[in-house]
Amino acid sequence: MTDHTLAPKKPRRPFFLRRGPMEALAVALIALGFLMLFQPFALVLYTYSFITLLAGTLMFTIVSKFPE
Amino acid sequence: MSSAKTSSVTAAHSVVEPSPASRRIAGALVILYALVTLVPLAWIFLTSIKSPPDSISYPPKILFTPSLEGYCNLFTTRTRQTPDYIAALPPPSGVCDAVTRERNMVIAGPSNFLPRFTNSLIIAFGSTFLAVSLGTLAAYGFSRFKVPLADDLLFFILSTRMMPPIAVAIPIYLMYRQLGLSDTALGMMLLYTAVNVSLAVWLLKGFIDEIPREYEEAAMIDGYTRLQAFFKVVLPQATTGIAATAIFCLIFAWNEYAFASLLTSGSAQTAPPFIPTIIGEGGQDWPAVAAGTTIFLVPILVFTILLRKQLLRGITFGAVRK
Amino acid sequence: MTASHDTFSDKMADAAVRATPEPLATRVRGLSDRAIAWLFIAPTIALLLAINIFPLFWAIWLSFTNFRANRPNAAVRNVGLDNYSRILNDPDIWASMQTTAHFVFWTILLQTVIGFALAWLIDRKFRGHAFWTTLILIPMMLSPAVVGNFWRFLYEPQIGLFAYAVSFVSGIPTSDIQMLGNVHLAPWAIIIVDTWMWTPYVMLICLAGLRSIPDYIYEAAEVDRASPWRQFWSITVPMALPFIMLAVLFRGIENFKMFDMVNLLTGGGPGSTTEVASIALKRDAFEAWATGRSSAFAIVLFVAVFGLANIYVKALNKVKQR
Repeated sequence: MTDHTLAPKKPRRPFFLRRGPMEALAVALIALGFLMLFQPFALVLYTYSFITLLAGTLMFTIVSKFPE
Repeated sequence: MSSAKTSSVTAAHSVVEPSPASRRIAGALVILYALVTLVPLAWIFLTSIKSPPDSISYPPKILFTPSLEGYCNLFTTRTRQTPDYIAALPPPSGVCDAVTRERNMVIAGPSNFLPRFTNSLIIAFGSTFLAVSLGTLAAYGFSRFKVPLADDLLFFILSTRMMPPIAVAIPIYLMYRQLGLSDTALGMMLLYTAVNVSLAVWLLKGFIDEIPREYEEAAMIDGYTRLQAFFKVVLPQATTGIAATAIFCLIFAWNEYAFASLLTSGSAQTAPPFIPTIIGEGGQDWPAVAAGTTIFLVPILVFTILLRKQLLRGITFGAVRK
Repeated sequence: MTASHDTFSDKMADAAVRATPEPLATRVRGLSDRAIAWLFIAPTIALLLAINIFPLFWAIWLSFTNFRANRPNAAVRNVGLDNYSRILNDPDIWASMQTTAHFVFWTILLQTVIGFALAWLIDRKFRGHAFWTTLILIPMMLSPAVVGNFWRFLYEPQIGLFAYAVSFVSGIPTSDIQMLGNVHLAPWAIIIVDTWMWTPYVMLICLAGLRSIPDYIYEAAEVDRASPWRQFWSITVPMALPFIMLAVLFRGIENFKMFDMVNLLTGGGPGSTTEVASIALKRDAFEAWATGRSSAFAIVLFVAVFGLANIYVKALNKVKQR
């Protein structure tokens, strides 16, 4: 936090450690979880919706700690 | 659409200023919507001053002789008697007495409405007071000091409000059973405080953020301690915000149904779970239900009008300040 | 920023205390800002831990057991993930999710379209728009339970105002307008009431969004001779989108866990056609008393809501930056 000198042109962190893209991914995962929860087509998708939602939510909580 | 079209035709006329014609059409549509959505509310009031036969007549009656029967039935319990028995009684002592006797009944005693309504008042005001007190302190803490993990704590506080009430009700029910808080006003008050404190913290943090720190700093230069500065400088400045927050908390606690219906049944039951259970002979006594609903809604109507400038802020947890 | 401020105010306070050695000022001087911060925040956190977080963890623990609240003395056995596997393979609960989805989808669609249209019309600033806006806002402040209960009366096929109005307009006999008794109409009955109640909410937030769009953008578009249609889709809608998202997410969360209004209007019936998730959960928890299994169900709902709440707070911050 304290040693941010000059903003480097190329982001130093790989994308999976940056907040923006990972947050978008987590949101997508939560959205997918809801689709699976709500869809009327396959019971198996409903069965795995919870784990998808849980993964998305946990991921969101973790990646929101990452720097931009 | 109409407004946009007119504005493009008259090039000198900016889109920002809609034309008079488009304004009139917009106004007419909005007023139409408003009138339609207010019909159910008007109907609640009209039903409350109808006699039971008028209330269930078909087609629905708009013109009728007003009657206080709904309100009388709301506040009393009645027993059916023979006409001879009623004829032998001394003259009726009040309006309700007379109205009841016309239906061949006598008033047997007060109904449960008044105690339930009182419960609502006690629980709503008590929890509002607690939530706003706690919320003001916490909001000041978050607003003025560097609290470690402040964002996480604030999110945690807000997320508690998002919890589905039924999901939380299961363990709360068990916990209250253990602690002897089931069906007590104190239990409901604590529960509503916990739900409301999140809104209070978020809203009040916004209000306190708007009070310049310089005021307190000036006060502290004058020899006030931090606490004195808080009580004597910040609190008076935050009065409007605290009042608005209090009304929001009050409305929530007043309207709450899910917890109340699952966790109270008797002595601590509030009005929302009680009103639907008002029944007369042969089904729901709609005028009495409407009367209870009217009495229950009037405070909220007043508050809504008082709050109209702060509503937006309240429903967005302080994010949109206008 | 806050850190430097604190040390600054500390210095100020020190200077102030040295300058004016008033006894009252020095008495509470011992409390550092850090102590005050925690003193102010701790009660709120403690309350939330006791009333929200502790029950939540209890529910998580219960969800791995076969505990039944109506048999507190029976041996409690750890059943591992059995409850979750049963909840997530139960076709009835899956069906309740689809009922919820139907309800959430249509209420959000209707409320967003009508709410945005109303906001757009009100933004024409016709004469008296503030007054009519306040009137439109009234339904959302009322108790969904108490007003929902009254809607049962409006929906009565023989005597209700709703059936009468529909039959007056469409010519369908009122006996066919069994809003709450017909399996095809009942889901729409709850959608109508929810839309009636919460469209003002969406409208209010959309209005804030429309008003946040600076005039000069429209003026620039006018200079560029952009058609009104184009202006609407390339300026109005995108600029108001963060606000619309905010409203949609909040209504999504609220309607996903909808309980009170549905419980009073239909109670999940007829059959289980309006048995949304919260109603199914209530039946499992407080009628079947399968506490362990219903706790697992509650956790599933909770995780879903928590995920949405995360996104909602992100949207809140986005709007706040505007």
